[in-house]
Amino acid sequence: MPRLYLKKFMSSISVQNLHASINGQEIIRGLDIEFSQGEVHAVMGPNGSGKSTLAKVMAGHPDYEVTAGDILLDGESILEMEPDERARKGLFMAFQYPIEIPGVSNANFLRAALQARLPEGEELDATDFYQSLYEKMDLLEMKREFTARAVNEGFSGGEKKRNEILQLAILEPAFAVLDETDSGLDIDALKVVANGVNKLRGPKLGVLLITHYQRLLNYIVPDFVHVMHAGKIVRSGGKELALELESKGYDWLKEENNGAASLASPAVLTK
Amino acid sequence: MLQGQKSGGTALDELSSAAKIEDHDNLPQWFVDAQNEARKEFANEPYPSRKDELWRFSSVKNLDGVAAFSRPANSGARPAASVLSSEALAKGDAKPALERGFPEPAGRMVFVNDQLVSCELRDDSLSDRGVLFLPLEQALKLRPDLLQEHFMAQPARLGSKKFAALHKASVSAGTVLYLPPGLAVDAPFEVFHIVTGENLALFPHTLIIADNESEVTFLDHFISTEGEVRGFACGVNDLVLRPGSKLNYISVQNWSRQFVSLQVNSTVAEERSSAVNLSLNFGGRYSRLESVSRLAGAGSRSDMLAVSIGGADQEFDQRTLQDHLQPNTTSDLLYKNALSSNARTVFSGLIKVERGAHRTDAYQKVRNLLLSDEAEANSMPGLEILADDVRCTHGATSGQVEPEELFYLQSRGIPEPKAKGLVVNGFLNEVVDRLSNEEIKAYLHEQIAHRLSD
Amino acid sequence: MSTANNTIEIDRSIGDFYFDVKAARDAGTGLTESTIDYIVDAKEEPDWIREFRKNAFHVFKDKPLPTHWASHELDVIDFDKIRYYLASGEAPKRSWEEVPDEIKQTFERLGIPESERKFLAGVEAQFDSEAVYSNIKKAVSDQGVIFVGSTDGLKHHPEIFRKWFGKVIPTGDNKFSALNSAVFSGGSFIYVPPGVKVKHPLQAYFRINAENFGQFERTLIIADEGSEVMYMEGCTAPKFTTATLHSAVVELVAMPGAKIQYVTVQNWAPNVFNLVTKRGMAMEEAEIKWIDCNIGSRLTMKYPGVVLKGRKARGEVISIALAGDGQHQDTGAKMIHAADETSSNVVSKSISVGQGRATYRGLVHVPKHLKGCKNNTECDALLISTHSRTDTYPAITVRGTGNATQHEASVSQISAEQIFYMQQRGLSEGQAMSLAVNGFVNDLVRQFPMEYSVELKRLIDLEMEGSVG
Repeated sequence: MPRLYLKKFMSSISVQNLHASINGQEIIRGLDIEFSQGEVHAVMGPNGSGKSTLAKVMAGHPDYEVTAGDILLDGESILEMEPDERARKGLFMAFQYPIEIPGVSNANFLRAALQARLPEGEELDATDFYQSLYEKMDLLEMKREFTARAVNEGFSGGEKKRNEILQLAILEPAFAVLDETDSGLDIDALKVVANGVNKLRGPKLGVLLITHYQRLLNYIVPDFVHVMHAGKIVRSGGKELALELESKGYDWLKEENNGAASLASPAVLTK
Repeated sequence: MLQGQKSGGTALDELSSAAKIEDHDNLPQWFVDAQNEARKEFANEPYPSRKDELWRFSSVKNLDGVAAFSRPANSGARPAASVLSSEALAKGDAKPALERGFPEPAGRMVFVNDQLVSCELRDDSLSDRGVLFLPLEQALKLRPDLLQEHFMAQPARLGSKKFAALHKASVSAGTVLYLPPGLAVDAPFEVFHIVTGENLALFPHTLIIADNESEVTFLDHFISTEGEVRGFACGVNDLVLRPGSKLNYISVQNWSRQFVSLQVNSTVAEERSSAVNLSLNFGGRYSRLESVSRLAGAGSRSDMLAVSIGGADQEFDQRTLQDHLQPNTTSDLLYKNALSSNARTVFSGLIKVERGAHRTDAYQKVRNLLLSDEAEANSMPGLEILADDVRCTHGATSGQVEPEELFYLQSRGIPEPKAKGLVVNGFLNEVVDRLSNEEIKAYLHEQIAHRLSD
Repeated sequence: MSTANNTIEIDRSIGDFYFDVKAARDAGTGLTESTIDYIVDAKEEPDWIREFRKNAFHVFKDKPLPTHWASHELDVIDFDKIRYYLASGEAPKRSWEEVPDEIKQTFERLGIPESERKFLAGVEAQFDSEAVYSNIKKAVSDQGVIFVGSTDGLKHHPEIFRKWFGKVIPTGDNKFSALNSAVFSGGSFIYVPPGVKVKHPLQAYFRINAENFGQFERTLIIADEGSEVMYMEGCTAPKFTTATLHSAVVELVAMPGAKIQYVTVQNWAPNVFNLVTKRGMAMEEAEIKWIDCNIGSRLTMKYPGVVLKGRKARGEVISIALAGDGQHQDTGAKMIHAADETSSNVVSKSISVGQGRATYRGLVHVPKHLKGCKNNTECDALLISTHSRTDTYPAITVRGTGNATQHEASVSQISAEQIFYMQQRGLSEGQAMSLAVNGFVNDLVRQFPMEYSVELKRLIDLEMEGSVG
């Protein structure tokens, strides 16, 4: 299919004037961002700016309450959808702290997740499944015995993050929100994970890369960079913005943001 | 009082006619009524039977004889409560016992045969700041309000209802410690209950109220001056922790090897308070400890600790309840027993998480070290969980000193008995190491070493 | 027989249907000495059994219900309203063709004849009080293996039967073992000769069809020296509004070096009181393993035990209990060490759903003068809902320096974060719950024969999906 033609039908996610809180405390305070399949957007910001909350709210974590605004997937609001419905619509989130599920093997888990995407009455083909699973494990340099281990149980930090990317590869979502996937990784593990993400990059995947450090962006080069502070996007730009942040730190943001007038308008960028 | 009796007291069976605290006139009416009520209750409650789940595995026959023991005769003359009569003690039988006390206590009270012989506060400013450290009788007169609210306010839930009633009806030797809000006292308050003489029944009582955000440590000693005399102790201690307070209660039980003792403990922890209750059980023929922690306030914590060292013909019967009533509460129990000869232990512990006590953390661990072929350990660790989102575990192990550990020590030139002693000592010290105060830890390590060297 | 289909009642769970079958033999309602005479006469049993039963009847009458430690739910059972014996009066058939249609259809729906063809060495199918079908593959019987009903066993193999009957579980062991001893009917008698290793499992299927009925099967399995056998039992009943009682006694004897595995998948209807006494005796170097799964019933009380009688004997209990809404699974294990170097292992996992309650009771006894005995017990409980309940009440007695016991228990739940994580991967809440529960019991399910583990997973899925939402 010609690329141009495809692009026209590209899916997109649009977060509009989002306000969200937990236990009555507002964390996201009027956030706008939009991204499409085929694009990689990085969201950077200091600790406590609400980056991880954004990821969880998008995925539908029950602890968070959306008090205003909307999240649209191709124009349709997903706010009323259960987390699993959003996932089946093509929204994937790589967790900052992946959860351990004792006794449930990775293979069984992935099969169940794929099975849930099939229409009623249709059975997943076991041979195809393993073939595709092994291919993607090779991509992420994972050993075969991994399939029999319980999901994330007893995994090292690096293994957990790699597992998140493996799930991303297997489930083939339209959108992936990677929540601080670089945290807790040493440089070698970071390279493996970044390499995995890069191989999955393409016209069918839109990525929202949430990170505190510029380091990750050396390996996964974003198309756009957004800076988040106090629950909103305060600045947007190209990949050079990340470098600027690297040299200046986040402090200038806080100062700048104290004067409301100087607030950069949240840019909604398209390619 | 029936002062004329030769044996020096009143047999327990005649309790209904015996009055306890002498000077009835000035006692509050509610207390007198409560004692009368308790006398009836004692008479009406049946003696425990092994068929009762709360007495499963217990050698209840030990309790058959206790009614024959007598309350000590009242000498009549009582020293003024606030005066330390060190001379009187120095020449008395109690001297060696007192010499093993804590080096620098904040206050010290001594009872011999349930008679108060001294009460001393080292630092007078403590009473100026609102600390009450009083014999029960005096506290009943000075602070009837406080006593009415807290005196045996918690029921005996683990089997000894009858004996709690007996205690209530009979108590005279008691200590009341009250810590005012916000005050922290580093050095422990120390109380001695000493028995000298044969076939006596004692009723030691301790009531500690730690008011908001206060911190205190309390050390109770139970001591027989002779190693093999018979006797009966029926004690109650109530610990009340107001919000944010910290209370460490430590008891060191060194009754004679022929003693039968029952100790009923209740700890009530209100919001954010933190209780530590450690008992070292060394003496007695049959010693039963019933300990209840009620986590009654959100965020409260209770550490229940015990070390029991059993030798020939000794039985330690331990019943515990970790009762979680509120969310975000924590309890952690660690009981360790080292048993030689034909010593026997019964441990029955229950973690109960009541409906609504979500996000409870409760742990319970019993470890028995069997040092001889005749030693016996019975463990009944229990859980009843009615809430959600809880973390509860319990464990019970029974085993021996690992031959590899012994071999390792021997290979370094330590003879076997000494090596074994080291391992046992280390095993037990681990419990004491849960405390934070270094001085008290060192003191208790010494007590354990002393008992092991017997 | 063509009308039979019209009386089928079907519900969600596979066992919940029944046929209207008229019993030719019916001991009536309530229990008296004449009930016992009726049973003995109907079964044409020898006099020593009549005596045995009558003695047991008096023990039963005299013993109180164990409500001082057990659930007061037991008070609900009205022993005067139960029917103690219902049978067709015909001998069990050796081929399914001979089994009357309604009964055959019952077992076909439960998949028994199909399983028999696929992987079983022998099958006994009990319908109310008596076996309606009993067959053992020729290759197995040619090895000298006896697999018959208990009545058959006591009549035709008295030399083996009498030696062990009632010896592992005495009549007076508890009120319900006494009741079973008084009115038992059905169950299996198995004898495996020395050295014979029965390759495929022997299976019994216990089916209650009648309302207000009490099923009291009695099973005795003797594995002679060095032999091996696996026995599996399945149980279902339709759901009636009145209480139904199932009270079996199962005795196992493993002679020196023998191995017995006894697998149960209990899926009684939620009106059934399932009060069962199961115990094995393991001689020198013998091994007895109970693999026990309790999913159904209103109240189950069952504590499979092993008496470790010979040196180096081994006992094991693997137990899964799922207490659904309104159910109480009161299960556990007893390990009585009676010889040196004996070892025992108990692994119990329970799941409480809704208002369900799962209780573990354990007893481990290591008396003095024994050396080298070991017990390991692990109990893990999973709570699914805010109102679920779990209890653990072990009792462990150890004497002497040569022995070691270890007991560990934990309580956990499936966290909201786990569910969210799985939902984020596209699973519905119910699927996520099922997957997590199956994960929790996974290591134990693997110990069940393949056919049973598939069935177990299906039952858990069904239970969990119903529990959400």
